[in-house]
Amino acid sequence: MIASVAFKNFKALRGTSLVLSAFNLVIGPNGSGKTSLIQALLRLRSLAKLPLADGVQKPGGPEIEFRFAVPHDAVQVRLGCISENVCDFLHVTPPGAAGWPALQTELRSIRSYLLDHDALAEFAPPAPNSALSLHGENLVGVLAYLQAHQPDAFRALSAELIRLLPEFRQLTVEPREGGVMELVMILNDGSRVTADNLSQGTLYLLGILVLAFDPAPPAVLCIEEIDRGIHPRMLREVRDLLYRLSYPASFGLPRPPTQVIATTHSPYLLDLFRDHPEEIVISQKQGTEAKFERLSDRADLAELMQEGSLGDMWFSGILGGVPEER
Amino acid sequence: MKVALLSESPADEAVLKILVEAVLEAPPHFVGLGLRARGWPNVMQVLPAVIRHLHFNTDTDALVVSCDSDESIVHTAAHDAPGYFHPHCRMCLLRGVFRRTVKKLPPAHGRTRVLRAVGVAVPALEAWLLCGRDQSVSEEAWTMGQERGQLPFTRAELKWRVYGTDRPSLPHEIRCAHHELERIRRNPRRLEHDFPGFAALAREVREWSQINR
Repeated sequence: MIASVAFKNFKALRGTSLVLSAFNLVIGPNGSGKTSLIQALLRLRSLAKLPLADGVQKPGGPEIEFRFAVPHDAVQVRLGCISENVCDFLHVTPPGAAGWPALQTELRSIRSYLLDHDALAEFAPPAPNSALSLHGENLVGVLAYLQAHQPDAFRALSAELIRLLPEFRQLTVEPREGGVMELVMILNDGSRVTADNLSQGTLYLLGILVLAFDPAPPAVLCIEEIDRGIHPRMLREVRDLLYRLSYPASFGLPRPPTQVIATTHSPYLLDLFRDHPEEIVISQKQGTEAKFERLSDRADLAELMQEGSLGDMWFSGILGGVPEER
Repeated sequence: MKVALLSESPADEAVLKILVEAVLEAPPHFVGLGLRARGWPNVMQVLPAVIRHLHFNTDTDALVVSCDSDESIVHTAAHDAPGYFHPHCRMCLLRGVFRRTVKKLPPAHGRTRVLRAVGVAVPALEAWLLCGRDQSVSEEAWTMGQERGQLPFTRAELKWRVYGTDRPSLPHEIRCAHHELERIRRNPRRLEHDFPGFAALAREVREWSQINR
């Protein structure tokens, strides 16, 4: 698990750091570094796949420094970049750290998502494992994999989907010509709805369910615009699905937690973190520079929460994390 | 009797339904409107519109509203004095909204107004669910803690005691609530004794049948 990230001259993140917890919901205006945070983690993943190389970094380029939670707290990793788009120096401290190979394995499993309803509805061949792809384009393939190889996970996922969307009674994956599968959902009256006719919200929810019920989840999962296409009343369920990853013990699941970094623009989703403001990260943008702040670091937070909901406070500008106006 | 509920979540609604049934000793007809508020102070913001909607657009007889007190001023008997209104007490505030809203409404659907039952869970609904199981949890314990400046428990601790986690899923929350309510529904007077914020709600529910509208 990543304990903290510190940025120097990386896109809008000119000089800021962020302590990460098991679950992190990042809010802020457009262009305030939410995606850059996720991109930094993906750069780390990419470089962690390669052997460490001796090299000298060009001085003055962007840098990103990562620290890690126990048992990897002795290891420190610094990404050095030639430009904002090219980061190809990876420095591990201390050199030859004993924990690096194990940490490397975890970092390679980092996954990032920006789900897209058109991609989620695509035909796809059965997937070789339970890993959903970036936009969810292999959704039906992953479902086919789960049905064939992880039937308990598939049953649990189907049951949860039907609880959330009670107009349906069954989730099916059906073979089509060319070795691909099609997602079909069966309504309670027996009529069939193919993936291309499902609502966008249903497809997004299904994508999140596949992530939450993944029997082999990654060490770190990043997901952008987690509220996309979801009705405000369903956001509690979305939050709980992500909590299932971050706090498996709370759901009776005997597996290590997945660190979740999610972004949103929904004040309604923010309202749901009243009891856990420490999970909220606000990206504050001033001009072309952005800085991260933990909501729980605000001294007046308790008073603010007596006055109104977090979502309303955010929209009002009291919490920051809103677009600048001229 | 047609009864609507305004709550924060399906779990809270499930709790309120069972408690109202226990007080009435017979199930009323709950109107399945699924009315929701997004916590305090949103419940205050939507309540006038909810009352007007129920009054003009439905034949609902009564509305049950409940919220958590959180760390706000707890309602006391002194607040019930005629003409008294505590500006920071959620019970007083909700009752005030009811009074002001129904006062302006002309009769509709054969009744002059929608009846009310207002409750405030001190400090949170989970405290009600621990009644009869955890002797240390009561409204009195909370208010004494407030006076001392040392709260006897936190909302998170209450959640742990009821759900075994402070991040319960909705189905788990409902399952645990049903489990606790099996005990509470058999003796709602105990809940009324330990939680005057529930007693106020129960009293108004019992008065429904005696009010001539």
